[in-house]
Amino acid sequence: MVHGLYQGVFNGLASGLIYILVALGLTLLFSILGILNFAHGEIYMLGAYVVYYACVGAHINFFWSLLLSAFALGIVGILLERFMFRPIRGDLEPAVLACIGLTVLLQTVAVIAFGTYLKYIPSIFPGILKLGGLRLSKDRLLVMGIALVFTTALLLVINKTKIGKAMLAISHDADAAALQGINVNRISALTMGIGCALAAIAGGLMGSLLQLAPYMGTFAMTKGIAVIILGGIGSVPGAVIGGFILGLVDGLAPLFTSGTMAAIIGFSVIVLILLIKPKGLLGHD
Amino acid sequence: MTRETAASGRRPLETAQGASATRGLGLALLVVAVFLLPLASRGRDYYLIVLTLCAINVTLASSFRLIATVGQISIGTMAFAGIGGYTSAILMMKLNLPFWAAFPLAGLASTAVAAAVAFPFVRVMGIYFAMLTLFFGEIVRLIMSEWGSMTGGSTGLLNIPSIGILSFAGMSIDFGHLLPYSYFVLVIMFLILLIFYRIDRSHLGTTLPAIERDEAVSASVGINVIKYKVTTFCLGSFFIGLAGSLYAHHLRVLNPDTFGLFPSIYIVIYAVAGGRKSFAGPIIGAVVLTIVPEASRVLKQYQPLISVGVLFFVLFFMRGGLVSLPGKITARMRAPREGRAANA
Repeated sequence: MVHGLYQGVFNGLASGLIYILVALGLTLLFSILGILNFAHGEIYMLGAYVVYYACVGAHINFFWSLLLSAFALGIVGILLERFMFRPIRGDLEPAVLACIGLTVLLQTVAVIAFGTYLKYIPSIFPGILKLGGLRLSKDRLLVMGIALVFTTALLLVINKTKIGKAMLAISHDADAAALQGINVNRISALTMGIGCALAAIAGGLMGSLLQLAPYMGTFAMTKGIAVIILGGIGSVPGAVIGGFILGLVDGLAPLFTSGTMAAIIGFSVIVLILLIKPKGLLGHD
Repeated sequence: MTRETAASGRRPLETAQGASATRGLGLALLVVAVFLLPLASRGRDYYLIVLTLCAINVTLASSFRLIATVGQISIGTMAFAGIGGYTSAILMMKLNLPFWAAFPLAGLASTAVAAAVAFPFVRVMGIYFAMLTLFFGEIVRLIMSEWGSMTGGSTGLLNIPSIGILSFAGMSIDFGHLLPYSYFVLVIMFLILLIFYRIDRSHLGTTLPAIERDEAVSASVGINVIKYKVTTFCLGSFFIGLAGSLYAHHLRVLNPDTFGLFPSIYIVIYAVAGGRKSFAGPIIGAVVLTIVPEASRVLKQYQPLISVGVLFFVLFFMRGGLVSLPGKITARMRAPREGRAANA
């Protein structure tokens, strides 16, 4: 039982780190562009497929595939911001519709282009590390390491660089930021690019642990939104904390109940939070 | 049917009498034409199946519109359809209730769930309401697949009975056949649309959109915002539950994915692509986006692209929805002439 518990914590931390990558993009987009990108999960799914085709199809090393995928989806994100979200900025309903339209579009394209069969990225780092009585798969350790590197990098960019300061300024007040000479459009595009790149990395990492399917994005999208609700919508530290909480819940809950039941309880908690404190646990007005 | 034509005959007083009479006549003809459609496609099962599906989608999209008129964009519509569908199927299969009892109970079950969650739900606004309904829909779908003893789990329910045989005056009609069933669905659809139409033409037709525009101002002029939001949510869910029941006995098989996120998204797309601000919008949207993908004869997996294409077209070029298309065309045709007249 105790071993199961540790194993659950370990698995939970691995998925938690991946959720954080998805949620960071979502939360940045929400605070800077004011949109809740329901299509974020589909970007994650496309990211996983780019890694798959680069790895399996073109025999590129996994790490380069991951960077390639991040770069490609980053460009896609910048284009999406420029041609889709910028024209409808500030309108709630069109933004929601654009996002759900994009979700259906990307998923349909994925079904057509990649087929519905499950695909597998070969194990990057096979083997198991024994630590005391614990059996830690090297795969998961590596994934955790990579996710941690990217999360830290983003946090550094946000907190230490001029671009990060500009992002924070826009999220507080876009007009005032523009008056200070911040190019709101450029920062918005960049944010979308960074958000999509992170989602692509998350997709690639999750794809290497589990399997790939055109429908895998919906799962990531609901988890990502759940994380930012837990942590407070628009809050960067909140996304990190929320990701760890949700990851641990997901890792430990199957020990006590069925997976579906765990998901029902998890989503019910999210609904409760939305009802009591719509901006999220750590959110503020 | 005669009631429907009579109602559409009594068109608004604010338009010119002549125009309203023509419009009424046009509507009456349209209703008659719609009711002739199943007869015309008798024997062609595929047409009847699409027609029935179309009528169900029209009901769902119009019910979505009712809830959305107060500014609540729900992406969990199909969760309530699922509650209705499963209720009526289970009542018929496990309790051997006749359809005529199970059908209203399906609507009531959906309303009961809606009423239970409505008061907290309607206080959540904008994008948060959308998220709330998204997660609520997911919870309902997961419960459907978890509660295996009742719902058949993720396999779902198979061999759902047809709505049965109705006999009166020595005549008996088996609604298990496609043709009578499509008529039954059409009649229910028209009755529900009639109710929506009356709501639109009553004071609610201005009160509800006022709430969407500005809740605080609406409340300040004495509109009980919470009451109207709860009422539309519950009423809409009632009709969504009925539509879910019709859907269950149309498909004859149900599984949790029938009522998942994507079907809910499609209802939003129907309503918005058609133009959710007008009564006819969701009807046109549902009809066009059910029939065009089917009729286009492209592969099933390409069909979503058509709906998405229409949605993006509406989003970027025609905010009023498809329903505003004829008006735009006539305006464009008239504009140059009037322009010249003004210059002269």
